[in-house]
Amino acid sequence: MISFTLNGETVSTDAPADAPLLWVVRDIFKLKGSKFGCGAGLCGACTMHLDGVAVRTCILPISAAQNKAVTTIEALGDRENPHPLQTAWVEHSVPQCGYCQSGQIMSAAALLATNASPTNEDIDAAMSGNVCRCGTYPRIKAAIHTAAKMQDESLGGES
Amino acid sequence: MMNKTKGPTMLSSQGISRRSLLITAGVVGGGLVVGIPLMSGDEPPPPEMMSEHGGYIPNAFLQITPTNEIHFYQPRAEMGQGVYEGMTTLIAEELDVSPDTIIVHLAPVHPEFKRPGSPAQGTGGSTSMNAHYTHLRQVGANVREAIRQAAAAETGIAAASLIVSDGKVVGNNQEWTYGHFAEAAAKQPLPENAALKSPDEFRFIGTEHNRLDAWAKVTGEAQFGLDVDFPGLYRAVVKRCPVAGGTVKSVNTNAAASSPGVFKVVEIFNGVAVVAEHYWQARKAADLLEVEWYYPELANTSSAELRQQMENALEHDEGLEADKQGEGAAALSQSKQVIEATYWTPYLAHCTMEPMTCTVKIADGNCDVWVGCQVLEVAEGMAAHYSGVPRENVTIHSTFLGGGFGRRLIADYVAEATAIAKASDVPVQLVWSREDDVKHDRYRPVSLVKFSAGLDDNGKIETFVVRNVSPNTGAYFIDDSIEAAFQGTIPWSVGDWLSKRGYWLFENITVNGGVVEGLSGNYPCPNQEVRHATVDPGLPIGYWRAVGHSCNGFFAEGFMDELAHSAGQDPMQYRLENSTHSPRMQTVIKQLAEKSAWGNVAEGRYQGIAAHESFNTPTAQVIEISVDNQTVTIHKITCVVDCGLAVNPDIVRAQMESGIIYGLTAALYGEITLSNGAVEQSNFHDYPMLRMDQTPTIEVHIVDSQEHPTGVGEPGLPPVAPALANAIYTATGQRIRELPLNKAFKFS
Repeated sequence: MISFTLNGETVSTDAPADAPLLWVVRDIFKLKGSKFGCGAGLCGACTMHLDGVAVRTCILPISAAQNKAVTTIEALGDRENPHPLQTAWVEHSVPQCGYCQSGQIMSAAALLATNASPTNEDIDAAMSGNVCRCGTYPRIKAAIHTAAKMQDESLGGES
Repeated sequence: MMNKTKGPTMLSSQGISRRSLLITAGVVGGGLVVGIPLMSGDEPPPPEMMSEHGGYIPNAFLQITPTNEIHFYQPRAEMGQGVYEGMTTLIAEELDVSPDTIIVHLAPVHPEFKRPGSPAQGTGGSTSMNAHYTHLRQVGANVREAIRQAAAAETGIAAASLIVSDGKVVGNNQEWTYGHFAEAAAKQPLPENAALKSPDEFRFIGTEHNRLDAWAKVTGEAQFGLDVDFPGLYRAVVKRCPVAGGTVKSVNTNAAASSPGVFKVVEIFNGVAVVAEHYWQARKAADLLEVEWYYPELANTSSAELRQQMENALEHDEGLEADKQGEGAAALSQSKQVIEATYWTPYLAHCTMEPMTCTVKIADGNCDVWVGCQVLEVAEGMAAHYSGVPRENVTIHSTFLGGGFGRRLIADYVAEATAIAKASDVPVQLVWSREDDVKHDRYRPVSLVKFSAGLDDNGKIETFVVRNVSPNTGAYFIDDSIEAAFQGTIPWSVGDWLSKRGYWLFENITVNGGVVEGLSGNYPCPNQEVRHATVDPGLPIGYWRAVGHSCNGFFAEGFMDELAHSAGQDPMQYRLENSTHSPRMQTVIKQLAEKSAWGNVAEGRYQGIAAHESFNTPTAQVIEISVDNQTVTIHKITCVVDCGLAVNPDIVRAQMESGIIYGLTAALYGEITLSNGAVEQSNFHDYPMLRMDQTPTIEVHIVDSQEHPTGVGEPGLPPVAPALANAIYTATGQRIRELPLNKAFKFS
């Protein structure tokens, strides 16, 4: 039995230790926002946060999540209470087919959590593990800058 | 198809059928159902899914409820290109309501949802906006007029005095909702030719607004094929022959069948499927299958031999005539200067981000299919055939597509999923791995082309001759689709036989247009000849974004650059002088010269241009690079496009960016190779994708136009590779005539 927190809630599963976290979350816990793209950690569509760090869950065995905190796109925000990245993504009309965008946003969220005002180079370094076949990269980059600004303004407003 | 019932029908509350559910809901909802098809001669009932909401259903596209909900059944497949937004904007404009107030549904199979001018409910060829621009506006205008007429009749206020806008009807200082008149509108005949707005009345068309599907796609809520789930659903994976077309000779299933979570192992038409509770269980078990295969003839071909065969054909097989103007090739001998060059591009895989997936449930005489696909009737026919369920009892539930690019025009994954559901007797979701996807695609065909051009004393093109050698995409599409498209009307075996005639047809009788499109035509001249010879080892091919233009644009625009340099002329100016037949292209090239600062770049920077019209949309690009020790840095891509009126300019720009990045990926890295018939690549490590750090600045300019819109999903792609190769020539003097470019250069 492996226990971890999934979006703040403690859960446990009897899935075998080598089952990838992605499929445990999708098939057993029925959260479908994280996607399957390559099964080899090469495209980032499956990106979630493990204790706040962006991880490729299609190759991460569930045993690695033991007693850790897993966050998926479902917990990042929603229409009523969005993460600044989600707002920025909509403002820039980033998604096309949209399939990779959960992973893109989770990678970007992990970046912004540790780097409040990333440069283009920082963004390139953090986001180059995420593939988008629709070619939304220029908009993703612009949206991350916008979200960083939004975050900065909201923090400034509070101080 | 569902039962065909004419007009409003009242039904008793007993013995509720699918049809009566619809009617009952309509009556309960306070409106009535009227079937007034816009396109077909007969009158099929509206799609069953409309029954959930009730209200006024003037046609298959729109539904207005008494509570003033406006539902739109969006007829095209949303695969990223933006039809969800674009089609809704057309409806919204003429209904005079904001697009974001409309509830959008992805349409099921229904005759009214066929693309205007097409026999099928297909999405491809950059056609949606062009085909629906007037059509869907008319649908919206007719319904708005129906609301106006109903309001006039009910309130006694003259129709002309009523303001019907933003979901409200206003007159005599009173205000009602559209929905208030839904029932009354349903009792009147639907106006057929209500006046359309003039462009100066547009509130939404031509403006930039955020994509309607954006929120669903940034919160993880959007449902793709892979996200379909319900209790009792099993997951399936298929082990296929490494060589396409191979079939099972023998299989040892013992280890797989006893693997944890496995429910069943079943043999289907092209392989062995493992059905398990969870995906990773099925995947692990599939690795334990021991299969021996019957290999097809394709197993005798490897890439090097294929290239040799194609080169032999270029030399010895004169092929079929695709086009001839004036004296054709015979005129070459009269020219002072004859330039010749041979170009090559490899097979390519689509690699949609979502690998193929399809969910099928066969129960109680029905077959339900949840899938994102580009031709719904083909999916329906496949499901009917492989389930044994009559076609009228097959229901296709459309999901968002995790990318299409032509891959999902083919319903092979629907056939597999249905065959597995049938054989295992449980509902299954078939999930392809990335390896399945790369190794079992319908590839963009390999192509070899030789150009010969005769120039006059001034460098003007007198004669233009093209010889093309490649397999025929159309033949495979016919083979993949005909029997399914006609399932239920002609016997499957007859359809299958017919579907195989395409190979012979395109090899011996007539040239497959999709293979030669874009090889000539950008610069007409007095003598032209295009010929095509078929060499086909049997690797399945299909429509890949921009189809023939995807490689032919590279060939034609690379060669055009060679001609410009041979004539000693500026490549931009040379294109202008040779494209006077196309005022639209002339405007595009002139704007591009200005926007790209053509010929006016910093020291060490070099530019290349390509201009190519595809899908009736002239598009041209300038790429600016620098080269340091065989390493190329792409600094900027400037793109100008004339797509007529841009319904949402932001989506037009997004599609240009998308086509450019898709095309750049192929130009730099894309190559599928064969070893003994098997595709050698398998995933993103050996079939690489362009990533963010390699993506240059892209600037898109749209020609200001009020003309009828043309497509934008594909035309951004063809100019990329040649513009880049032409820039490399300017920088290095090295002419690249083969893709991918990473064989000759490194890219930073």
